Amino acid sequence: MPYLKTSTEWYEQSSLLLKARPTTTRITSKYSVLKPSSSKIAKREAYAAKRAARASTTSPPPQSQAPPQANPEEPTATFRLKTYDPVSGTCLQYETNKAAEVGRLIGRLGMLGRGMAGLEEGEELSGAAENSHTVEQDVVMGGTSTPIEQKPAAGGGGGKKKKKGKK
Amino acid sequence: MPGDHMSNDEFFTQLTNLFEHNRKKGHGTVYLTQKRLTYDTGITPPSPTKVLDDPLWDTHPENPLPVLVHAANNKSSKREGKGKPGNERENVEKIKLSTVVQPDKLDAFYVRYAEACKAGMGGLKKRERKKKKKDKKKKKTEG
Repeated sequence: MPYLKTSTEWYEQSSLLLKARPTTTRITSKYSVLKPSSSKIAKREAYAAKRAARASTTSPPPQSQAPPQANPEEPTATFRLKTYDPVSGTCLQYETNKAAEVGRLIGRLGMLGRGMAGLEEGEELSGAAENSHTVEQDVVMGGTSTPIEQKPAAGGGGGKKKKKGKK
Repeated sequence: MPGDHMSNDEFFTQLTNLFEHNRKKGHGTVYLTQKRLTYDTGITPPSPTKVLDDPLWDTHPENPLPVLVHAANNKSSKREGKGKPGNERENVEKIKLSTVVQPDKLDAFYVRYAEACKAGMGGLKKRERKKKKKDKKKKKTEG
C-alpha cells in the first residue's frame, strides 16, 4: 500500500492501472476531519508545556513562536486519494492536507473518470491555472536611472529599492 | 444498491449538504468513490467465448460507459469515557449518495464536482506564504 510522493506520480500510475483494468479499478477519495483523541490531546498539551518550559529557561531568544498546534483540540484534516484494483490487489495512494491542491486533484479525478468511461483522457479541465508563475520582470533598471557602470558588489541605491518594491 | 441513483443535480445538492453537515459537526469523514458502471446498463457483456478470445476486451469498449459516483459519510458511535476532552461525539447515521454520470456529461460534472469539493473541504490548510518566509528569516538570524 504505497503512498506516492507527488500527486503527478499518483496520477500517472493510476492512469496506467486504469488502462490495464478499467472495469474493476475504483478510485476512492476520502476527506476526513478528525478530532484528536483524548490521549492525543494529552500528548499535545504535554508537548506545549515542555516547549513553554524550555522557552522560559533559555531566555535569550524571546521569540514567542506559536506551537504547531495552537489549540490542542484542533482537528486534523486530510484529503486522501486511493486507486484500488481488487483483482490484482494494486493500491495506489496519495495524501495531502493542503487546500490548494484540491482543485487540481479533482481535475485529475475527472481525467481518470474519462479513462474509466472509455474515452480519451484528454486535457485537464479546471486546473489549468495551477502554476501561476508570475513572469519575472527584471527589466529596465538602467533605463530610468542615469547610466551607471555596473559594479559587482554595490548596486545603485535607487535601483535596489525598486527591486524590493516589486517583489 | 442499484436502482436508487439520483440525478446529477440532486447529487450535488446532497453532496453540499453532506459537506455542510461535516463542517457543522467539526469532525468526520466524507468518502467519494468513482468507478466504471458495468452492470444494469443495457450494454450486453460479450459472450464468454469472446472473452476467452480477447481477455482484455474491457480495455477497449465499443461504446463509452457511464461512471458511477458514490459519496458517503462515516457512521460514528459514541466513544467510551465520556467527559474527557475529545470524547464528546454523537451517534451518526450513515448517509449514502450515488449518481451515474453519462460519458458525455463527464466534463461538466467534474467542473461542478471540483467546485463542490473545494467549497466543502474547508478544514484543509490554507496557503501561508508570508508566515513561512518569516520563519525562514528567523532561522537565518539564529544560525
